[in-house]
Amino acid sequence: MKKKNQSLKQVIYLVVVSGLGILMIYPLLWMVMSSFKESNTIFTTAGQLIPSKFIFDNYVNGWKGFAKVGFDTFFKNSLFISVTATVGTVLSSSLVAYGFARGRFWGRKALLVAMLLSMMLPAQVLMIPQYLWYQKLGWVGTYYPLIAPYFFAIQGFFVYLMMNFIEGIPNELYEAARIDGCSFYGIYARIILPLITPALITGGIFSFIWRWDDFLSALLYVNDSSKYPVSLALKLFSDPGSSSDYGAMFAMATLSILPIMLIFIFLQKYLVEGISTSGLKG
Amino acid sequence: MKKLAKILVMILVMASLSACGSKTEDTGQNAAQGGGAEGNGEKVQLVVTWWGNQARNERTQAALDLYAEENPNVTFDGQFSEWADYWNKLAIASAGSSLPDVIQMDYAYLGQYVQNDLLVDLKPYIESGLLDLSNVSEEIVEVGTIDGGVYGISIGVNAPALMYNKTLLDEAGIEVKDNMTIDEFIALSKEVYGKTGYKTNIAYQKGNNFSEYLLRGNGVNFFEGEQLGSTDPADYKAYFDLYEMGIKEGWYVSPTIFTERNAGSVEQDPLVYGSSPDSRSWCGFFFSNQLTAMQTAADADGIEIGITSWPAKDVKAANYVKPSMFLSVGVNSKNPEEAVKVIDYWTNSVDANNILLGERGVPISTEVAEAILPQLSKTQQDVTKYINEVVMPNSSQINPPAPSKSAEVYQLLSQLEEQVCYGKMTAEEAANQFVEKANVLLQ
Amino acid sequence: MGNTIAAIRKKLYQDNIAGVVCSLPFIIGFLLFMIVPMLVSLYYSFCDYNILAPPVWVGIKNYVKIFTGDPTFYKTVLVTFYFAFASVPLRLIFALIVALLLVKSTKLTPMYRAVYYLPSIIGGSVAVAILWKRMFATDGVLNNVLGLFGLNRDFSWLGDTRTAIWVLIILAVWQFGSSMLIFLASLKQIPASLYEAADVDGASKWSQFWNITLPLLTPTIFFNLVMQTINGFLAFTQCYIITQGKPMDSTLFYTVYMYQQSFEFYNTGYAAALAWVMLLIIGLITWFLFATKRFWVYDGGL
Repeated sequence: MKKKNQSLKQVIYLVVVSGLGILMIYPLLWMVMSSFKESNTIFTTAGQLIPSKFIFDNYVNGWKGFAKVGFDTFFKNSLFISVTATVGTVLSSSLVAYGFARGRFWGRKALLVAMLLSMMLPAQVLMIPQYLWYQKLGWVGTYYPLIAPYFFAIQGFFVYLMMNFIEGIPNELYEAARIDGCSFYGIYARIILPLITPALITGGIFSFIWRWDDFLSALLYVNDSSKYPVSLALKLFSDPGSSSDYGAMFAMATLSILPIMLIFIFLQKYLVEGISTSGLKG
Repeated sequence: MKKLAKILVMILVMASLSACGSKTEDTGQNAAQGGGAEGNGEKVQLVVTWWGNQARNERTQAALDLYAEENPNVTFDGQFSEWADYWNKLAIASAGSSLPDVIQMDYAYLGQYVQNDLLVDLKPYIESGLLDLSNVSEEIVEVGTIDGGVYGISIGVNAPALMYNKTLLDEAGIEVKDNMTIDEFIALSKEVYGKTGYKTNIAYQKGNNFSEYLLRGNGVNFFEGEQLGSTDPADYKAYFDLYEMGIKEGWYVSPTIFTERNAGSVEQDPLVYGSSPDSRSWCGFFFSNQLTAMQTAADADGIEIGITSWPAKDVKAANYVKPSMFLSVGVNSKNPEEAVKVIDYWTNSVDANNILLGERGVPISTEVAEAILPQLSKTQQDVTKYINEVVMPNSSQINPPAPSKSAEVYQLLSQLEEQVCYGKMTAEEAANQFVEKANVLLQ
Repeated sequence: MGNTIAAIRKKLYQDNIAGVVCSLPFIIGFLLFMIVPMLVSLYYSFCDYNILAPPVWVGIKNYVKIFTGDPTFYKTVLVTFYFAFASVPLRLIFALIVALLLVKSTKLTPMYRAVYYLPSIIGGSVAVAILWKRMFATDGVLNNVLGLFGLNRDFSWLGDTRTAIWVLIILAVWQFGSSMLIFLASLKQIPASLYEAADVDGASKWSQFWNITLPLLTPTIFFNLVMQTINGFLAFTQCYIITQGKPMDSTLFYTVYMYQQSFEFYNTGYAAALAWVMLLIIGLITWFLFATKRFWVYDGGL
């Protein structure tokens, strides 16, 4: 009886999770399928999910890119920007979060408030002053504005995220480490970093995606079209008032999701096998 | 308190540093360097910016490459963006005194940029012959002229164009004639609706050009200087009347369909897209250089698109020839003369235009236009024919560039038009509110 | 000499000093990249500024106009509150439920996680705008499905002032993946020993959830609540790419209105003032959230 109940539960679980999953993914499926349709029939056949004939022209046309710069270049640029900015974000944010969470120094509260406040100002309003400031630094036309700030933990979100996890680590662990002769910095490297792996991974995934999708800073600071990232290049397929190549856009949008998907699938197992579970057991 | 004062002073200093200080500094430097760079054929790099799609990016870059080949001392940094992004980037570049050398400019923005002294007056270069406009009609040079200075050279001739579903109307045995009056247009819309079920769209949510056109047909300018051209709501009511009547009588498309489509997307315009006749329009209010895009979009449905003039009470007074876009030189250019040479090349070189192929509109040099004519597609030839045979003989000079507050006034027009179409407001109320609120905005 | 270095070394290893040292990247980054642009934008808010020409100081004129001469301001504040108060709780509840469903590992879990996270990956591109409009169009997927159940299928979800905002809310909820991941990571941090002990005591799964999981998750729930609330009020993309505020401003987000003022109408000074008013509103709400923290957020070691 109990066994039957158990398997019924499993079936319900499977149905609910899969059903919801299809709902979640349907719009994306539509985009992927559209990328295999003839570009000018995408809207006229929008009601039909599966293309009547699969064609790959959109991928060929899209991959060519614009004015001699192909999407291989755009992908390389995006990868470079996203990876470096993400490394910077994860390293600096975890360190700063540790300093805020475990250090008790004068001005700490004020810094935290400043960090929160900086998150509350709409980014759009900072575009102009930021541009002028980076121009003063001589950074316009380079990747610096897209990368350098992230090595200084300027995204409060990540600092708070990691603080949240560091505060969840039991006090006894610190005390034990102290007794073993670990310094403040030693604890960061030997205790904190391994213990908050899930948070580091989570932060890394977010950061990578946000950098990957960000076109605004690239628009403002990157001038040379051979240095464009994918996010900016994707926008170039559509031109209101004149012909847009939606087929190519969907094709390249589909491709642009792939790296993120792969990274997610690769990293998510670390979310599960976080050392934290075993580390805290004892 | 003292601290607060200190901070305030700091803000002021920093803001003035980053905002305006650099402007004067840089221009001075530019002028000094500009003199040195030319005479001796030094290497120069020119930044050229434009908006557009894949085809335009491709062709423009190729034309620039050709120029660089012929002029080895010049290299190009061609920068292209999507329309909305383009204007943001340009505005911010102007704030940072780093405007590009050659700028693709639009009529809607020309006035504003000139008013703020951001573009170079090209008149001296025209007079010195560096910029050769001998094959260009005076009227076309005139549209880029503000207060006696020439700030933009048109790179394509354009005109308002009513595009219609020729296939549909042919099947229904309905004929469209050029230079319709408003009453004829309304009668035609009703007839099409009665016979085919297809409705009508009158430039919904992008009605600024058509309302201006209507007003011209009645002898009124939309703007007069920095003010509305008329303070009499009755003048503006005629525009809202069309929507009110159309919605009431059923021949106007439901405003809801536009919320489901991408604004400005040619592929989703009701003229070529929609799953049933009542979500489609038999016509669309466009400009002539959009015919190619429209026809491409219509091909998916096997429709042929026809082209004629917009309706007005007096079409000759209302219709005009318009630059599709301009080339201008930014004030921050270190080598304005080299930039001008590029514009000259763009205007007069048959080789360059054999690459560009009138994608931005019919070339303004009559010689170039003739030379490339055989290479144009049938659709493009139709456009040329339309401009030469229908618009040219029956039009008048375009209105001067709109004032800087125009974007807000146009938005107001769209909002009120939306209210009328949703039945929240009568045409009369809309017209009254328009005049009242527009006057506040324009103060 | 060696003494001073040793002294400095010793100083650096004091806990309070070490805290500052670790926080240094942020302190430097904040001074270098944030403070100047923020203050300049504050300065702009007291200016007539149109980007194309240098700003001109006008005092509090912009702020006066916001509160006394701009009905659209109030309209967009209402819309933004509506959006935030509807989308944030829904998103969090949804994220928490899915995280709980996906926390246990089976062979299929990695795939499920990817599927549920996918919508958050594509962000706010033009492609999303197009496909989302297709889903809710009059002849779109939703109405087709409703038609299967014999329901009215001619409704224009995006064209009606009552429902259009919900299309945006559903988009926000659809992209719940980031909150879900944080919940997942946080669930993983709960020591398994606690559950083992509870099992020994014979506690049911349900009581384990209420007595172990939920209390230990409250810090994460609080974190997500604060971050999502800030994000909810600053939401931009959904409106900007899909409705642009239509129909009749019923979906016009505050930030989009601000953006229009800044980059379409070139009232950039006014837009800066709008931004600082928004900062004040969000600041107050966040402060309120922090004030409630001690009533419901579990705080303390294990």
